[in-house]
Amino acid sequence: MTALGIDLGSRRIKMIAFQDKNILWFKSFDTIPFYKQYSGIHEGKLTIDFSAAGVDIEFQEKAIPVVATGYGRNNIDLENARVIPEIQAHCKGAEFQTGLTTFTLLDMGGQDTKVARVENGLLVDFIMNDKCAASSGRYLESMAAVLDVSLEELSRHASNPIPLNATCGIFGESELIGKIIEGHPLEHLCAGVNNALLKRVLPMLRPFDKDTLIVTGGVAKNGALICLLETSTQARIVVPPHPQFNGAIGCAAQAR
Amino acid sequence: MVGITTTIPLEIPLAAGESILDLNNLFVNHETPQELIDKAEMAGFPRNTCGWIKGIYGAIQNFDIRKVISVTEGDCSNTRALMEVLSSQGIKIIPFAYPFEHSEKALAGQIHSLAEQFQVDTAQIGQAKKHLDLIREKIHEIDRMTWQEDRVTGRENHYFQVCSSDMNGDLDRFSLEIDSFLAEAGQRQPLKEDLRLAYVGVPPIFPDLYPALEKLGARVVFNETQRQFTMPFPTADIVDQYLHYTYPYGIFFRLEDIKKELEKRRIDGVIHYVQSFCFRQIEDIVLRKNLSLPVLTLEGDQPAPLDARSLIRIECFLEMLRAAKGAS
Repeated sequence: MTALGIDLGSRRIKMIAFQDKNILWFKSFDTIPFYKQYSGIHEGKLTIDFSAAGVDIEFQEKAIPVVATGYGRNNIDLENARVIPEIQAHCKGAEFQTGLTTFTLLDMGGQDTKVARVENGLLVDFIMNDKCAASSGRYLESMAAVLDVSLEELSRHASNPIPLNATCGIFGESELIGKIIEGHPLEHLCAGVNNALLKRVLPMLRPFDKDTLIVTGGVAKNGALICLLETSTQARIVVPPHPQFNGAIGCAAQAR
Repeated sequence: MVGITTTIPLEIPLAAGESILDLNNLFVNHETPQELIDKAEMAGFPRNTCGWIKGIYGAIQNFDIRKVISVTEGDCSNTRALMEVLSSQGIKIIPFAYPFEHSEKALAGQIHSLAEQFQVDTAQIGQAKKHLDLIREKIHEIDRMTWQEDRVTGRENHYFQVCSSDMNGDLDRFSLEIDSFLAEAGQRQPLKEDLRLAYVGVPPIFPDLYPALEKLGARVVFNETQRQFTMPFPTADIVDQYLHYTYPYGIFFRLEDIKKELEKRRIDGVIHYVQSFCFRQIEDIVLRKNLSLPVLTLEGDQPAPLDARSLIRIECFLEMLRAAKGAS
């Protein structure tokens, strides 16, 4: 191992080990149990018991560089790691995974959706969603639970979306329940959820060039949303091989 | 004592010997400002209403203020409804408007009617203006020392300028406070932050924004609205003065002032602060379109320290500005 990248996300914690510029292994944990079981605070810094978490601790023995990112660089002060801003990690991850240096990045994670513009390898502008989970992966999770379908099933449907207008993830649930009672087919309900998320994301994309759109984060695995994005933006959409690990990859790629 | 909902022609109540309290400052400087918001929500103000409006309401109740000059045009329509609620509680409301048409004739009419309310004449108002201008000039010097000499922090710049809306309720005491600050700041070594920021929009509801930025190596050297409160332009009479005052007259008039100052103060990036549920959030569209510098739109709702989501935006913005500076 030559570098370890860690993305401390709001829903999942992701780790990536590099051997030179190749990915050696991935690991992903549920955030809350992870913090409960493996983390602590030592002299004001966040500590992680890597060995208990089942992570190869070769990097600790050999003083291999660790780079981390997550919820506010100033909130996570991970012991023995260099902490970089989230947007930087995601842009570098996208560059590493796609080889592109000019693109618009749409990262849709558990609670945050970010749009960033990178030109010739330089971050030139970005925005993040307002303080509301209705434009993030969390919305898909709760809607899938209401519909009693898996995220995979939810992600299959983009046609004939039933209109959903709730601007709030919580009220969105009751709106969806109302539509179920009206007797709409499950496929149309799923498409409606995906389309509602699209409608929240499109205004964020509006100010940015849409030549190449790299989509990362867990939501990039939602094929229906990618389809809807393609139709509405006319952009060349690129989903890198490991969209959920993009931030951690960006961290590992920044190790020195 | 008279409360004000935003900056008004201070010269008029002052000429009448009134002591003036900016209700926004009373709210945000309260030991537990959140309690004042809770008071308003308990009275029925919706959760999705501007925190400043609720805070003003709470402050009026808390400090038992019985007379309020309320700005009904040039500020938000929420103020109008607030005024109606207050007058239904027997509080005396004196309306004042910055006319949308921005004409000398219309503004003179408003100023005349406010002067009538307080039974003061032009000579008395002129005297009060002279007194205020002496203090304002000293605050202009603090502002100059902020951007030209780098001896003043963003928070100090904010504090002295924002307080000029009511001169902290006591002109003489505030004037002495400024004197002592100027003497101390004049001895300082220049500050060393590598990024120079502009802060535009209404004053922040976050108590810790300026130190948080400085901790990350960026200093605000231009506070747009707060500077406007100090009337940073020489004028002969108060009609002329409140015609020059940009804050109540729409985004395009404000932009003329903002653009000039951004260039003069060698700004690297702009923070546009918007209050949740405020109509000025929409003005962000025009502002972004008209500024060539990078803009971070920062939204605040309640009077609490910066949350993780805001901090993450700030740190990414500053990193982006640094990368751009390094590349140029």
